[in-house]
Amino acid sequence: MTAGPDPAAATRPRVLHVLAALGTGGLLSLMVLCNSTITAHANALWGSLVPHATGTLAAALALALLVRRSHGERTGSAPAWAYLGGLLGALTVMLSSVAANTALALSGTLALGLLGQAGFGLAADRWGLLGLPRRRATGRDLLALGLILGGSAILIFGAPA
Amino acid sequence: MIAPVAMSILAGVLIGLSRQVNGRLSLTKGALGASFWNHLVGAIALALAALAAWGVSNGPLVPPGLSEAPLPAWAGGPLGVLFVAAGSWLVARIGAANTALLVIAGQMVSGALLDTLREAEGAPIRALGVAIILAGVAIPRGSKG
Repeated sequence: MTAGPDPAAATRPRVLHVLAALGTGGLLSLMVLCNSTITAHANALWGSLVPHATGTLAAALALALLVRRSHGERTGSAPAWAYLGGLLGALTVMLSSVAANTALALSGTLALGLLGQAGFGLAADRWGLLGLPRRRATGRDLLALGLILGGSAILIFGAPA
Repeated sequence: MIAPVAMSILAGVLIGLSRQVNGRLSLTKGALGASFWNHLVGAIALALAALAAWGVSNGPLVPPGLSEAPLPAWAGGPLGVLFVAAGSWLVARIGAANTALLVIAGQMVSGALLDTLREAEGAPIRALGVAIILAGVAIPRGSKG
């Protein structure tokens, strides 16, 4: 964690960013494995409550250990709505578990969810939504988007039943 | 069919929206601070929902099967802290679309890897999907910035 997001660097994914993002996606696979195991033993609400509670403890511990080093350059305050991201996460879990139990099934829910993420990402960058930097998509960005979503669709729908 | 389609797309939009909100918070609180607030607010909301569900049902507050869940399954929370912190850090640096796509790529490829390790069927088609995703990741992008 060195410099903050300067406008020039904000537009260009570097190797470090790509590796971090791929690793983050890998974390998600492990999280889904953990949380769905809790859900199978308890229910969907507790499958989300348990990781949120243990995560709060883990984050508090990490902050207590690391806070002195990271406090440096940040000033100003965040708007109140910026604290409410957790509500969206809790809502997401409920929405997707309801949708996965309809005729769409898990694969359809996943695939449409990816479309929603990609579409929101393009819009958020285009207009700089919620106070983050603006970024115009290039033709190469759209090609990469098509390949990643296409490959994902093959993984989602190509799996033998 | 319209309702589940809308819900699924909305779930994806909410993932992006919460990353954007947490990314905004990370500008003043740091990525780890944003992740802490995300988990605390989510835990409080879900705890209230659990209490409400307990109030209307006659069952126990804590589902009895929970104690039988294997210990490693409880690691989802600490992993989630890293996940949210990394997402907040990335979205402020490489943008929402890049973050979403690269995280999706990592999720899909690692999921395919887990399937292969567990010897699920359909390895050739998984390899094809992974190759196409990695081709998308490898395209050099955004160099005009």
